[in-house]
Amino acid sequence: MTTQIAAPATPKAQSPAREAWSMFVRNRPALFGLVLLGAIIAATLYGTFIYDVDPFEIVWAPLERPGVTPEFPLGTDYLGRDIFAGLLIGGGPTLAVGAVAALITMLIGVGLGALAGYYGGWIDNLLMRVTEFFQVLPALLFAMVLVTLFSPSLWTIAIAIGVVSWPQTARLTRAEFLRVKELEYVLAARAIGARNGRIIWRLILPNAAPTLIVSGTLTVGVAILFEAGLSFLGLGDPNAISWGMMIGANRDYILVAWWPVTLPGVAIFLTVLAVSLVGDGLNDAFNPKLRQR
Amino acid sequence: MSVSFLLRRLFYGLILMVGVVILNFMLIRLAPGDPAMVIAGEMGGATDEILAQIRTDYGLDKPLMTQLWIYISGVAQGDLGQSFFFNQPVATLIAQRVLPTILLVITAQVLSIVIGVFLGVIAARKPNGILSGFVTVVATIGYAVPVFWTGIMLIVLFASIIPIFPVDGMQSMRLRGASFWVQALDVAHHLVLPALTLALIYLAQYARLSRASMMDVLGSDYIRTARAKGAGERAILFKHALRNAALPILTVAGMQFGNLISGALLVETVFNWPGMGRLAFDSILRRDYPTIMGVLFFASAMVVVANIITDLSYRWADPRLKGQ
Amino acid sequence: MKPLLEIEDLKVTFDTRHGAVTALDSVSLSVNAGETLGVVGESGCGKSITALSVMGLVPSPPGRVAGGAIRLLGEDLTKATDARMRALRGAEMAMIFQEPMTSLNPVFTIGAQIAEAIMLHQDIGADGAMKAAVELLDRVGIPSAKARARDYPHQLSGGMRQRVMIAMAVSCQPKLLIADEPTTALDVTVQAQIFDLLNEIQRDFGAAIMLITHDMGAIAEMADRVAVMYAGRVIETGTADNVLDNPRHPYTRGLIDCIPNIAKTEGELREIPGVVPPLHLLGAGCAFAARCDSADARCLREKPALRDHGAHPAACHAVEEGRI
Repeated sequence: MTTQIAAPATPKAQSPAREAWSMFVRNRPALFGLVLLGAIIAATLYGTFIYDVDPFEIVWAPLERPGVTPEFPLGTDYLGRDIFAGLLIGGGPTLAVGAVAALITMLIGVGLGALAGYYGGWIDNLLMRVTEFFQVLPALLFAMVLVTLFSPSLWTIAIAIGVVSWPQTARLTRAEFLRVKELEYVLAARAIGARNGRIIWRLILPNAAPTLIVSGTLTVGVAILFEAGLSFLGLGDPNAISWGMMIGANRDYILVAWWPVTLPGVAIFLTVLAVSLVGDGLNDAFNPKLRQR
Repeated sequence: MSVSFLLRRLFYGLILMVGVVILNFMLIRLAPGDPAMVIAGEMGGATDEILAQIRTDYGLDKPLMTQLWIYISGVAQGDLGQSFFFNQPVATLIAQRVLPTILLVITAQVLSIVIGVFLGVIAARKPNGILSGFVTVVATIGYAVPVFWTGIMLIVLFASIIPIFPVDGMQSMRLRGASFWVQALDVAHHLVLPALTLALIYLAQYARLSRASMMDVLGSDYIRTARAKGAGERAILFKHALRNAALPILTVAGMQFGNLISGALLVETVFNWPGMGRLAFDSILRRDYPTIMGVLFFASAMVVVANIITDLSYRWADPRLKGQ
Repeated sequence: MKPLLEIEDLKVTFDTRHGAVTALDSVSLSVNAGETLGVVGESGCGKSITALSVMGLVPSPPGRVAGGAIRLLGEDLTKATDARMRALRGAEMAMIFQEPMTSLNPVFTIGAQIAEAIMLHQDIGADGAMKAAVELLDRVGIPSAKARARDYPHQLSGGMRQRVMIAMAVSCQPKLLIADEPTTALDVTVQAQIFDLLNEIQRDFGAAIMLITHDMGAIAEMADRVAVMYAGRVIETGTADNVLDNPRHPYTRGLIDCIPNIAKTEGELREIPGVVPPLHLLGAGCAFAARCDSADARCLREKPALRDHGAHPAACHAVEEGRI
């Protein structure tokens, strides 16, 4: 017999990644973040080809207001260096250190978290104690010590940030592994005797990937703030201009001139905002159920 | 039961602190160059005399394990080494600065939790309301703003535009020698901006977290039971729901404490707050390693203590943990 | 005699992605003082929404009463203010939920939770309320009630927790007790004990019970009268004996056939084929037509109304036409 009840329209079969992407682009803040981030990266990579002023050179009178001299649209700093040029160049170290530091964080965190979560037992116990130990050390202070001891360069800064930031990633990865390793298909693979390495790489990691990708994206934002803090304190790479360093160098003149401090701060803010909007967007796209939150 | 838990927790904290001491010890030796030179620091005036002094004090001519032992037993007796830049024992330097840091960090923590949780609870009542949107936006922005920059912006605002709060230091010179209460009020007045700067980021995060946590709890069966009893909206929010939603908030508050100390480091530098962060900044500029290591040791100890307090309050808040 | 509770043409809608969906469609029921009305149907048929509507606990938004009336002792609850509803809930009408494991607040002692219900509606101090709570716990069969009152929910078994829920529900001697699948989550042996307890409570407190269940066996044991619901409508109603002995609607027959019967050991456990259709996909015809052996063209076209066709009212064209 026929029925009055219409079958629900079957959605077209889509791969999870494609589905996540279509959710992502419909999420306006996330899309805004992605475009903003793209613009910032493009500006730091190619900006100097269009706007060719040496940010290290003293080019004008110090502390010129923005908009007064057309050649230097954002004014000059306390030494008379061009701020716009500084902003374009300064994004490079900030973004590079942020990305590399996040990568190091993820490598250490995911590696240790995966081992602890998958193997459990004494390995888990040992690794979690180590994680707790690293969480006791105030991250910025520890990073400052590392950078000072091994003399500041972009690499030491990135490594130091990675070394102090991984514990949270490790905990998250461990929790994900504990969850995924109990799923039926993993149990089945174990039952037929698949090798541990293969199970971790081919079965568990892909399932944990969405959470880890979101966490990795947000880690980039944290690392950028970290780099800015270190540079602000004067622990940045002395041979490179970065946004945090511009703020630190000009802050004594803040009551005379607001722009040399305010503008790099806005640049850092927009970058971290863009990264975190993308991260939140990925999170919503991967976990549609949590969207209402 | 609770006492044995506390003892166990204290013992574990002690082990963590021994770990920090060992880490400090290793860091100095891992650094490139002669450890004696490293300890003396760049600005310390590393005369041969001082270097010889350091070598005897730290036993640098002895085997590594002996050196470690000398170092650990020194720390155990409260000897964190000598600052060659300040020309004072590190322990003394820290003792002078630990209270301002604790004052700043605790004030910021309390401010951010109280205001943040309150906002989050109110916002959770209307998940799509204006306040909810506001909390989300402020949390997203607050997360992306560098804390030192917020501080500087507040300085601009309060130093030149509305000069009602001091922006520099912890005390007014002219009030030296005034009565205790006048001075205390003066310190509180100076505390407003640094504490607010530090609290702002975390405030937004607590608001977002407690909103999510409350929304979770408000959907649970026991809230429906409370409604079925005829409980009022306020009792449901602040009694039935918040006690449960507080558990994840407590966890985060405990984990954030280390970050709060890191943030205090930057805020103290911005506002010239005479605490350990300021000391760390000064000693790092001078490569005054004994002082830096002392600050790292002491800041870690504060985190350990904060963790113990968190664990205890967690057990107080969640009866399910009491029997274990 | 006027019924204690009278539901008349109640319509409840939910705003969803698919637009406003009708969860309850012209539901009419009544409960007389002191009797037990069984409301029976599969999950998703609207019986819990009916119960929550009476209590004023339908989550809103998205839920909303779109028409009809719910009269408790003549007072229309759909028009009552929030404050009035709070005063009635727990005092005049109370509810027991399906999930004893999650329906009690995990961070308060059971004694405190019962005492709270008492203090909300009676002018009594904390000590007096606690004493009354202990008496209630004793009354619902919790051994060493005085000590148990200081326990937290996680320290009790599911059956014990449901007893606590019952104690809480009857703490202010309500005239109407709504029990929403009170035994579904419990072991079979415990189920019988809870039903016995409900019967005793009814005898002693004189409360009317509205028992929501999917289990015809529970109806046979407990109910004086019964209302069968399907897809948001009442499709058959009458005294429990009549409906059980002489079911009219094919759906009711299906439900009765599902009762596991030890006497009929040869038959396997039966169930009605198919599922309750999602509410947003309901068409113009009888919602049960797709699962019904007796359905014809008219059933797909036209909704049957609840009419008396002899023994007791049923909503079925086939019954009306005398085909079954």
